[in-house]
Amino acid sequence: MSLLVAENIRKAFGSTLALDGASLTVEPGEVHGLIGSNGCGKSTLCKIAAGSVGADEGHLRFDGREGFFGTPAAAAAAGIAVFYQELSLIPDLDVAENIALGHEPGRRGMVDGGAIHREGARLLARFGSSGGKGLTPGALVRDLSADQRQIAEICKILARAPKLVIFDEATSSLDGDQVQIFFEIVRELREAGTGIIFISHRMDELFAICDRITVMRDGRTEATLPVATTDREAVLTLMVGSALATRHRDEAPPRPGAPVLEVAGLSNAVLRDVSFTLHEGEILGLGGLHGQGQSAVLRAIFGADPSSGSVRLGGMPHARRSPAAAIRAGLGYVSGDRGINGVFLDRPILENMAIAHLSKSRAAVFRPRAFVERVAGIVARLNLRFAGYDFPLRTLSGGNQQKVVIARWLATGPRVLLLDDPTKGIDVEAKADLYAIIDELAAEGVAILLHSSEDEELLSTAHRVLVFGSGRIRADLAGEALTPTALYRAAYEVSAA
Amino acid sequence: MTEAAAPAPESRPPLRIRWALAFVVFAVFFAVNAWLQPSLLTTRVLTSNLTSFLPLVLVAIGQTYVVLAGDIDLTAGAIIALVNVSVVTLIEQAGGSGGAIALGLAAGIALGILCGLLNGLLVAVLRLQAIVTTFATSIVFGGIALWILPQAGGSVPQAYWRGYAGGLGPVKLTVILFLVALGTAILFSRMRWYRHLLAIGGNRLGAFQSGLAVTRQRVISYVLCGLFAALAALCLVGETASADPLLGPSFTLTSISAVVLGGTALAGGRGGVIGSILGALTLGLINNIVFFAKLPYVTQDLVKGLIILAALAGGILGARR
Amino acid sequence: MRLLRHPLVLAGLAILALLAIGEAVAPGFAGAGQLRSQFVIAAMLGVIAAGQNLVILAGREGIDLSVGAMLGLGALVAGNVMDGDNAMILAGLGAAVAVTGAFGLLNGLGITILRIPPLVMTLGMAGVIQGLLIILTSGRPSGRAAPALTRFIIDPLVAGIPGLVFVWAGLAVLLIWFLRRSRAGLNIYAIGTNQEAARLSGVPVTATRVLVFALSGAFSGITGFLILGYTQSVFIGVGNAYVLPSIIAVVIGGTPLSGGTGGYTGTIAGAILLTLLQSLLNAMAIEPFGRQIIFGLVLIGLMLIYGRQDRLRV
Repeated sequence: MSLLVAENIRKAFGSTLALDGASLTVEPGEVHGLIGSNGCGKSTLCKIAAGSVGADEGHLRFDGREGFFGTPAAAAAAGIAVFYQELSLIPDLDVAENIALGHEPGRRGMVDGGAIHREGARLLARFGSSGGKGLTPGALVRDLSADQRQIAEICKILARAPKLVIFDEATSSLDGDQVQIFFEIVRELREAGTGIIFISHRMDELFAICDRITVMRDGRTEATLPVATTDREAVLTLMVGSALATRHRDEAPPRPGAPVLEVAGLSNAVLRDVSFTLHEGEILGLGGLHGQGQSAVLRAIFGADPSSGSVRLGGMPHARRSPAAAIRAGLGYVSGDRGINGVFLDRPILENMAIAHLSKSRAAVFRPRAFVERVAGIVARLNLRFAGYDFPLRTLSGGNQQKVVIARWLATGPRVLLLDDPTKGIDVEAKADLYAIIDELAAEGVAILLHSSEDEELLSTAHRVLVFGSGRIRADLAGEALTPTALYRAAYEVSAA
Repeated sequence: MTEAAAPAPESRPPLRIRWALAFVVFAVFFAVNAWLQPSLLTTRVLTSNLTSFLPLVLVAIGQTYVVLAGDIDLTAGAIIALVNVSVVTLIEQAGGSGGAIALGLAAGIALGILCGLLNGLLVAVLRLQAIVTTFATSIVFGGIALWILPQAGGSVPQAYWRGYAGGLGPVKLTVILFLVALGTAILFSRMRWYRHLLAIGGNRLGAFQSGLAVTRQRVISYVLCGLFAALAALCLVGETASADPLLGPSFTLTSISAVVLGGTALAGGRGGVIGSILGALTLGLINNIVFFAKLPYVTQDLVKGLIILAALAGGILGARR
Repeated sequence: MRLLRHPLVLAGLAILALLAIGEAVAPGFAGAGQLRSQFVIAAMLGVIAAGQNLVILAGREGIDLSVGAMLGLGALVAGNVMDGDNAMILAGLGAAVAVTGAFGLLNGLGITILRIPPLVMTLGMAGVIQGLLIILTSGRPSGRAAPALTRFIIDPLVAGIPGLVFVWAGLAVLLIWFLRRSRAGLNIYAIGTNQEAARLSGVPVTATRVLVFALSGAFSGITGFLILGYTQSVFIGVGNAYVLPSIIAVVIGGTPLSGGTGGYTGTIAGAILLTLLQSLLNAMAIEPFGRQIIFGLVLIGLMLIYGRQDRLRV
C-alpha cells in the first residue's frame, strides 16, 4: 500500500491559483524527486501534506489514514516530518534544543538538558567536521551560517524518526561533502522503509538519489517517471513544456549603444567578483538556479545591500550609498517579491505610482492632478486598467499590481531599469504586456538588467544572458551560443552530453 | 541511525547565563546602594528591602512569560487591585477566622487565574491586539475593583499580617516566599512548556510548523501572569493590612521595565525570568539610591528617570552586543 | 455590509447611537450647550491623539507613552512664558512646541539610531520628563495662562462655538492635508505599510520615523498649551490621564497599532466617540465603577469588530 497518496489537490491564495489538480504518490522506502520551475506549487503541495497549509479541494491518504491534517502537530504525530525551505528553526534556542523541539526527552514535564544535548551531538556527529566551525549542539541558531542551519534542520527531522520525510530544497546551501553525507543519510532512511520526498533544482542530485521523479508545472502534476528509464533531457522537456520549441530573439540590439553601466569586481556576502558592462538599449538577462546572485547583483547596484567593487553609471562613479541616491542617479528597481519589496497594499494606486517620483523630485507637496497627467500615458502604455486612482492597490490582481510598480519607475524617467524576477506569480497576459513594454523601453534606449527565474522568458527577451552560480558569472551567452540547451545545461550543471 | 555516537567535543549542555548582564547591572547598583547606605549589608535591612521589592518581583516574573511568548500584558496592575480588594472584602465578610483567611487566599489566586485566562482567550484565541485589548480588560478589572470597594479601607485580621510579617525561626516569611518564587521560576525554566514558550516568541510560524500548541501556550502565559499578579496582591495585603482599589496601576509599566531591564526582548523569544527578578530588584535599588544619595527632594524623580532610561537603553544595547 | 465594517462609518454610527441613547436617558444630552462642552473636551484629546496617530501610522510597533508627560511639560513652559500676559500668547505656544518637539526628537533618535523599542524609549522618556517637571515646579503649579487665551478657548467665538473647536478644526485640516498631500505625509504611510518597499522607493526611512516622534512631542505641547488655557493653571500630572485614551482614540478611529493604514479623520471620530461615551456614562448616573466597566467592555467589543489578526494556518 502506498505511504502517501495525494490526489487532485487544489489551493488558491487569494486570486492566485497555487495548485490546480496536483497529485503525488509515495511508496514506503522510496526516494521520490519533485521538480518544477519556481512557483509551480511544489512547496505548497508539501505544506498541505504536512498540515501547515489547508487545501481547498482534493484527497489525501497517509499510512492508511484518510483526510487532510488539520495542524502540523497532527501530521507530525502521524509520522510526517518536513524540512521547510525557509526553515522552522528558533533563532534563540541552541541547535540541540531546536532538534528536540516538540518532543523533548524528560519526565513529568521537565526537560532533560543532558539528554537533549547528547541526542543533538549524536545527530550532528553524522556530519562530522563538514559542518565547519561553530556547529555544536550548544550553539545558538542565530549564530549559524546558512549551511549549518540546513544541517540543523536535517537533524531536527532525523530526531523524529518519521515515516515520511519531505526535504524541500534541503541541499541548496550545502557544499559537496555535506551533500554526500546527506545522501548517505537519505539512503539509510530508505533502507529503513521511510518514504522520502526530495525537492531540488539540481538535476544531478535528483538523478543520483531518487527512485522516481515527479515533474510539476503551473500547479499541476505533469508526469511521474522512474529514474531507471528516463534521462535529464526528458525531465527538462516536461518541466519547460513547449518552451524549448520557442526561438530566442535572434536580433541584436537595434544599435550598439554606449556603455551605461560598467560593473567591475562587485563582491559582497553573496557575490564573488562580478564584472560586466550594460549598454544603452540593451536587455541583459541574468539566469541560473534560484538565488545564485542574480538578485544580489541588482540590489547591490541599487544600493539596497552593501557591496565592494566599482560601478560606473554613464562614465561617472556610482556610490551605491542608498536606494534614494540610486533613484536620483537614474536607476529603478522592480522586485518579483512585490509583497516585501514593492507594494503598499493598503495605499491608493496613485500613491503607489508617485512615491519614487516624489523621492527623486524632492518636491515637498504632492500634486495629484499634475501627477495623473504625468502617468496617464504610462498607464495606457502598460495596458493597465483599474476602477480609479484612489482605490487601494489591494483591489488589483498580482499582474496589475506589478504594472503599477513598473509605472512607479517609468514615472521617474530612468536610464537603467533593474528587473528582479518581475513576472513572478503573475498571469500570462500581464507577463506578455510586461515583456512588450520592456522591449519598447530598450528600443527607446533604456538599459535593462533582467533577472528571470523562467528561462524561456530570458530566451525570448534578452539580447545576452549571464548565467550565475554561487555568486559568480558562470557563463556569458549571446548570439549563436544563447540556446535553450546551453542555458539549461549551465543552470542545472548538467555536463555537456 | 544505530551506530555509536562519535565522541563529541563537549558532552554537556553549555552553561548559558542569559541574565549575566542584568546581574552586572544589579551588582553595580547594589554596590552603590551599599556605599551610600552602609546598613544595607545587615540582615535586617536586606530583609526589609526584599519585603518591599517582593510584589514587583512577583509581577515581573509573571509578565516575563507573556513577553517571552511575544505578547504583552497591561492588566497586571489592575489584577493586583482587583485581587487586593476582593481578598480583603471576602475575608471580612467571611468573619475573619482562620478559615476565612484560607478562603480569601484561595479566592484571590483563583481570581488572578481567571483574569489571566480571559486575557489569554481574547488575545490568543480571538487574536486581538495585545496592547489595546489588555488595556481594555485592565479598565474592566479596575472598574470591578472599584465596585467591590469604592475607596481605600477595610482591614484584614491580625493573623494575616502578623503571619506575613512572621517567619520560620529566624528566617522571615517574605524571604522564604522570595526563595520559593525564585525556585519555581528556575524549575519552570527547565520545563518543556517553557522551551515551547521561547520557541513561540522567537519564531511563531516555525514553532507552529514544528507542531507546538501555539495558542494554548500563549493562553498559559497570560494565566501565569494573572497568577503571579494575584500572588503580588496577597503580599501587598500582608504588607498594608488593608485594601486599596487604586493600588496597582504603577505595577503594570514598572513590571515591563523590570522585564526589559532583565534582558528580555519585547519582541519575544529571548531572555528569562531570572533576569526579570534581577531587573525588579535593580529598580528597587534605584529607588533606594536616589533616596540615600541625599539629593534635593525635587531632583529625585529626574535622577531616577534618567538612571532607569539609561539602564534600559544600556541593557538593550548590551544584549545586542 | 462591507461599508458598515469601515471603521469611520462604524465610529460615526456609534456616535449617533450614543447621542440618541444620551438624549433618551438625559434629555438635553444632544443639545447645543452640551455638545459645545463635549467638543471642547474632545478637542484636547483630539489634538494629543494627532501626534499619537502619526507615530502609530509609521508602524514598527510605533507608540508614544510619553505624550502625557510632554503635555505637562508643554503646559508648564507655556504658562511660565505667558505668565498671564496677553502679549506673550504666541511666544508661549512657540516655546511649548519647541521644547516638547525637542524631547520628541530625542525619542525618535533613541528609537532609530539606538534601536530601542518605542514602548521602552517613550516610557523611559516619560519618567525623565516627569522628574524634570518636579524640579522645574518644585511640585507646585506654576505659570498662568494669558486671560485672552482663556477667553478665546472657552467663550463662544462664532455661532456659539468656542475658539478651541476652531483651533482643532484648523489643525485637523492641516494634518489631513499633510498626510494626503505632502511628501512627508505619504512617506509616513509608506514606511508604516512596508518599510522595505519604502526604502527601495527612495523614502528617507530614519528621518521620517524621527519626524513622527518629534511631531508627536509638538502636538502634546500644543495640547498642554490649550489645556492650560482652558483651566488657567495645571498640575504636573495633568497629562497622565491622556496617554492611553490617545492610543484608544486612534485605534477605534481605524488606525491599527500595526500602522500603515487609517488616518486622522477616523481619529477625530474616535476622540469624539470616546468623549461622548465617557459623558454618557456620567449622564446615566451610573456609579464610577459601572462607567469604567462599561467603558472597558465597549472597547473590547470594538476590538472584536475590527482588531483581529491573521491566522497561522492559511
